[in-house]
Amino acid sequence: MRWDTAHENLPKAQFSEEHDGKIDSTYSISIEKGAFDDLHISLSGKISMDTAELVREELVKIIEAEPLRNVVLDLARVEYFDSSGTAILVEMFQVCARLNNKLKLDNVPARIQGLLDFVDFKEFDSAGILQPRSQPSLLIQLGEGALNVYTTGRDILAFIGGAVEALIKDLSHPGKLRWDGLSKLVEKSGTDAVPIVTILSFLMGAILAFQAAIQLRKFGANIFVADLVGLSIVLEMGPLLTGLIVSGRSGAAFAAHIGTMQLNEEVDALRVMGIDPMRYLVSPRIIAVAFSVPCLTLIGDLAGIIGGCVVAVLSLDITPTGYFNQLHKVLELSDVLKGLTKSIVFGIEIAMIGCLRGFQVRGGAESVGSATTSAVVTCIFILTVTDAIFSILFYYSPPVFKS
Amino acid sequence: MERSASSTDGGSVAPIISVRNLTVGYGDEIILREVSFDVHQGEVLAVLGRSGCGKSTLFKAMIGLVEPKQGEVMIDGERVRSLADGGSEGLLRNIGVLFQSGALFSSMTVAENVAFPLQQYTTLAERNIEQVVALKLSHVGLTGCAKYLPSELSGGMQKRAALARAMALDPKLLFFDEPSAGLDPVTSAELDMTILKITATLGTTIVMVTHELASIFGIANRVIMLDAKEKGIIAQGKPEELKTSSDDLRVKEFFNRTAAGEKSESLPE
Repeated sequence: MRWDTAHENLPKAQFSEEHDGKIDSTYSISIEKGAFDDLHISLSGKISMDTAELVREELVKIIEAEPLRNVVLDLARVEYFDSSGTAILVEMFQVCARLNNKLKLDNVPARIQGLLDFVDFKEFDSAGILQPRSQPSLLIQLGEGALNVYTTGRDILAFIGGAVEALIKDLSHPGKLRWDGLSKLVEKSGTDAVPIVTILSFLMGAILAFQAAIQLRKFGANIFVADLVGLSIVLEMGPLLTGLIVSGRSGAAFAAHIGTMQLNEEVDALRVMGIDPMRYLVSPRIIAVAFSVPCLTLIGDLAGIIGGCVVAVLSLDITPTGYFNQLHKVLELSDVLKGLTKSIVFGIEIAMIGCLRGFQVRGGAESVGSATTSAVVTCIFILTVTDAIFSILFYYSPPVFKS
Repeated sequence: MERSASSTDGGSVAPIISVRNLTVGYGDEIILREVSFDVHQGEVLAVLGRSGCGKSTLFKAMIGLVEPKQGEVMIDGERVRSLADGGSEGLLRNIGVLFQSGALFSSMTVAENVAFPLQQYTTLAERNIEQVVALKLSHVGLTGCAKYLPSELSGGMQKRAALARAMALDPKLLFFDEPSAGLDPVTSAELDMTILKITATLGTTIVMVTHELASIFGIANRVIMLDAKEKGIIAQGKPEELKTSSDDLRVKEFFNRTAAGEKSESLPE
């Protein structure tokens, strides 16, 4: 529907409303009720983003006050008009259409006609475009959720299978290794983590000893703090704490790195060069972390035991010699091996989860952020579940483990 | 800009790329239906069309990143398949790809990027690899930028570095995805000249997805035009011929750069 630009000059009775204040944004609206069922509205002055809302309200009020009249809007004396004015005209059109009246524009200046030419009023449907997308019904969402769980589970299994296959291929043909810098990965995931693992494990040992001391003192059983700290750290706290630290450091790093590579088409570039991204990116990360985590765990164990010793010496009147003698009595090699076995498994899980989340990135920067978060959260969850499973396994395991 | 002469004896020599009844899409949506065409050795083929016509999808199907729903793409007589589906490394080694964003590995320097395919696929000693890398960088005019990281380069330089990497193994086939996107006219012209040099000296076959008319008229021997509604090819042939003698309005609008549905004096009747 195109606007006509008829040139009619009807006498107009003026009662203009001056808008007080800024000179820049003065406008005025004058009305004349024609003899027949016409309502002439004359718009003059400057209609800009500052005044548009006021103009709009007034016009709507005027038009709705006369629901039986067709409207003629005269724009001859409009000095300034921008997109906000166009939006007002669109709304006028819609209001009139709702009242089943016609709306005609008169004396449209050339420069305004240009703005209006861009708008095809029939197809102009702007209502609600700022609202969020409508969600499908609950039933559909439930169905999609179930499908999602299935595909995620399937993808995870496929990923694990692919990673294991790639690892086997590489380990059986070490000559054809196509790995992303392994030593750099070990350095980043292992060496760089030593300070924080040491400090946190030391603190953990100290905290354990401190809490234990409060209880043990009641029974005069001070010396058993060595047992408690030593076994807890070596069997549970050491591997788990180290695993959690590495999840936050390396799990997140892998997800972010691979996720960003996905966005930059770097993974596609690898594929078209005939390089399997699983073998190039994932296998070395699994190896690197599976190697780093047990080493870090050992360091952490030592730091934790020393932390316990410091507290024991300071607040439980135990000598360092006494502490380590007691530890030596109760700690066995099998305990250390149990802890290390757990930590190797933790390492493999961390690398796989971090890489999996990275490959799942689609879209933009926000997706990389959620993938990174998801990697850490999933790692924490899986590590804890694995720990529980190992506890049960070790308890029921054949005496080989309990020497 | 002169185009290099190409061998147009497609009749006697088998085409190097053969697309047969290719149907591709994502999920339930079909983007292209039963598309067939050939690419001959040594020619520069431009794949063009309006936005959304399926150029990128065709591109990805030809390099094995998207599995076709039906039909096949044969390169050198061998079916193109992604690595995961059993594609051969040998085939992929003969293809060099320049992605629209360059897709340089962001954690490696330019030289390491260009050296990557060489390290993966050849047994060349390191100093020989360095020599090849320096040669490729000089081909694309990036001598002296060897130790820069991709993030330290301008868009045009990133593209050229990615081109050097795509050419590292002297592949028989090069695929370019919108090579001139985001480049200023001078850099774009320089890139075109580099591409011409490659075909002229190495006889490389080039397939490029583009809609830069200047590049198309400058270096393409043949073009195929895709259309979103037809989900297939609506025109094939030499660029000049399509511009002047096509009867299809869509083709005329494209080559004469006129708005859809608008009358223009420059449109030949």
